[in-house]
Amino acid sequence: MDKMRRHDQVRSRNEKFTRRTATKIWEEKASEDNPYIPYAVNCHGYDLLDLVKKKSFVDVFYLLFRGELPTGDESELLEALMIGLINPGPRHTATRAAMNAGVGKTQPVHILPIGLSVLGGSHHGASVIDDSMRFLRKSKKLNARIYAEKMLENLDIDMNAKSRDESEFFNAESPGFGRYYGGVDIVSKNLVDLLLTLPGSGDALTWGAEVHTVTEEHGIGLLSTGIAAAVFADLGFQPRIGGSLFQLLRAPGIAAHGVEMANKHFTAMPFVGDEDYIVEKNE
Amino acid sequence: MKKTNSNPSYIAELDSLRGKIISRTGGWFPGKAVFCHGYSMLDELVGEKSYFQIVILNATGKMVDKRLADWIEAICGCLSWPDPRIWCNQIGALSGSARTSVVAATTMGCLASDSRAYGPFTLIDGVEFIQNALIKQKKGSEPADIIKEITDANRGKPYIVGYIRPIAKGDERIETMERLAVKLGFEEGEHLRLAYDIEELLLNQFDEGMNINGYMSAFLSDQGFTPREVYSIYSLMVASGVTACYLEALNRAPDSFLPLRCNDIDYQGQTARTVPN
Repeated sequence: MDKMRRHDQVRSRNEKFTRRTATKIWEEKASEDNPYIPYAVNCHGYDLLDLVKKKSFVDVFYLLFRGELPTGDESELLEALMIGLINPGPRHTATRAAMNAGVGKTQPVHILPIGLSVLGGSHHGASVIDDSMRFLRKSKKLNARIYAEKMLENLDIDMNAKSRDESEFFNAESPGFGRYYGGVDIVSKNLVDLLLTLPGSGDALTWGAEVHTVTEEHGIGLLSTGIAAAVFADLGFQPRIGGSLFQLLRAPGIAAHGVEMANKHFTAMPFVGDEDYIVEKNE
Repeated sequence: MKKTNSNPSYIAELDSLRGKIISRTGGWFPGKAVFCHGYSMLDELVGEKSYFQIVILNATGKMVDKRLADWIEAICGCLSWPDPRIWCNQIGALSGSARTSVVAATTMGCLASDSRAYGPFTLIDGVEFIQNALIKQKKGSEPADIIKEITDANRGKPYIVGYIRPIAKGDERIETMERLAVKLGFEEGEHLRLAYDIEELLLNQFDEGMNINGYMSAFLSDQGFTPREVYSIYSLMVASGVTACYLEALNRAPDSFLPLRCNDIDYQGQTARTVPN
């Protein structure tokens, strides 16, 4: 180094931190003789036990994130989506991570967090949801057919220019759309068709389905991320919570497959043989 | 509908990879050797190179000299302290209080540090900033122009990753690392010189200096690392502080880390209401 530099003197910024953490979600009422034990808890003003008696899990799930109970139509739509997304399936990277942990005898309580972290990726994963929700909320006012044709045109230009790969293109330009293993995700599209028959379905999902109709002949369509984002947007959830909601909805299947492997011998999943393990030489 | 309109060549490409792993990095071949970026780990790396040289090799594919690996290792001591007030460390302490495993606590603390506000993720922006700034300087911009570009886009505020430290102004860690750099015989490179020039202007104009992110981003740019390489090298940089905070809480009674009475939470939501049928 040329010389010792002179730097700023270290000083506290004396920022004013709150003395109590605030929440609008949950109220715990302290019991008479122990201030750490509540005698009752309220969720957005509703007594939890009253909710237990009168409402479904899906109603309270919606309440927790939205602050109000859903209408019957909203509840029906959310429950349908929850069932539709309940399991990414044993070939999904997140589920495979959970299964690897399971068969590797990872402590069972770690299996789900491992799978959910992998689900947090940006390739068909939870990281896409908030961008997709913002995109759908904004784009649903556009003519879907014109948008779809422009999307295909821009994709062509981008692929010819080789400026980024296809996945990056969709994440940046039309998050929630793309190819699933090189083609249209049929199960997801069938789920969309079913959701659209429900009275609670909304503009974002309708718009996404219309775009899909144009693009599907090119092997491009709505992905599971796009469907989730569209329904979340139509139900009024904020984009920032979208990734977490997607993780919650897909968690049951990830846990089920992961724990299924936990009781099996580690030979119960393939281990690539040396003959199929190819080390490429760097140029 | 059962047709996916897929591109057959994509399916063929996937098929060619089924049941195979193709690696540019290396692997373990039982009874033969373990390879890492062309090196035999047990013959050429273990005992021959420092642990941090191997960490950097795995993170970047580059075998750096021990002097640089020592600098990269030493700064980790500046990046992880056993203070549970720091967000990632508090996850360690809460994990200890909840009696999770030490691995879960440390891993989750590292995951928490994957943040837009602090930790390794911010190094991407830090390195990108100084590398782009140097490109601009070489094209004729002055350091003042580079700062003005930022302040113009941020209503006059000098929001530059690597400068302006949260909680405190100034950064005592920089001088410690500068002394080590001198001791190890490093020259001041062009990124670091520019970083100092920017700091001087910021101190004069805004009373804000460089923080450890800005210093290490510039230093490591001078050593030829990319933003993603720096992010990868330091992916677990907060680990030891999290572990320390976990153990501190683990060795105390459960529930005793920053206990909260019910009314320590400030409920600001809806008043009590009746659940409709």
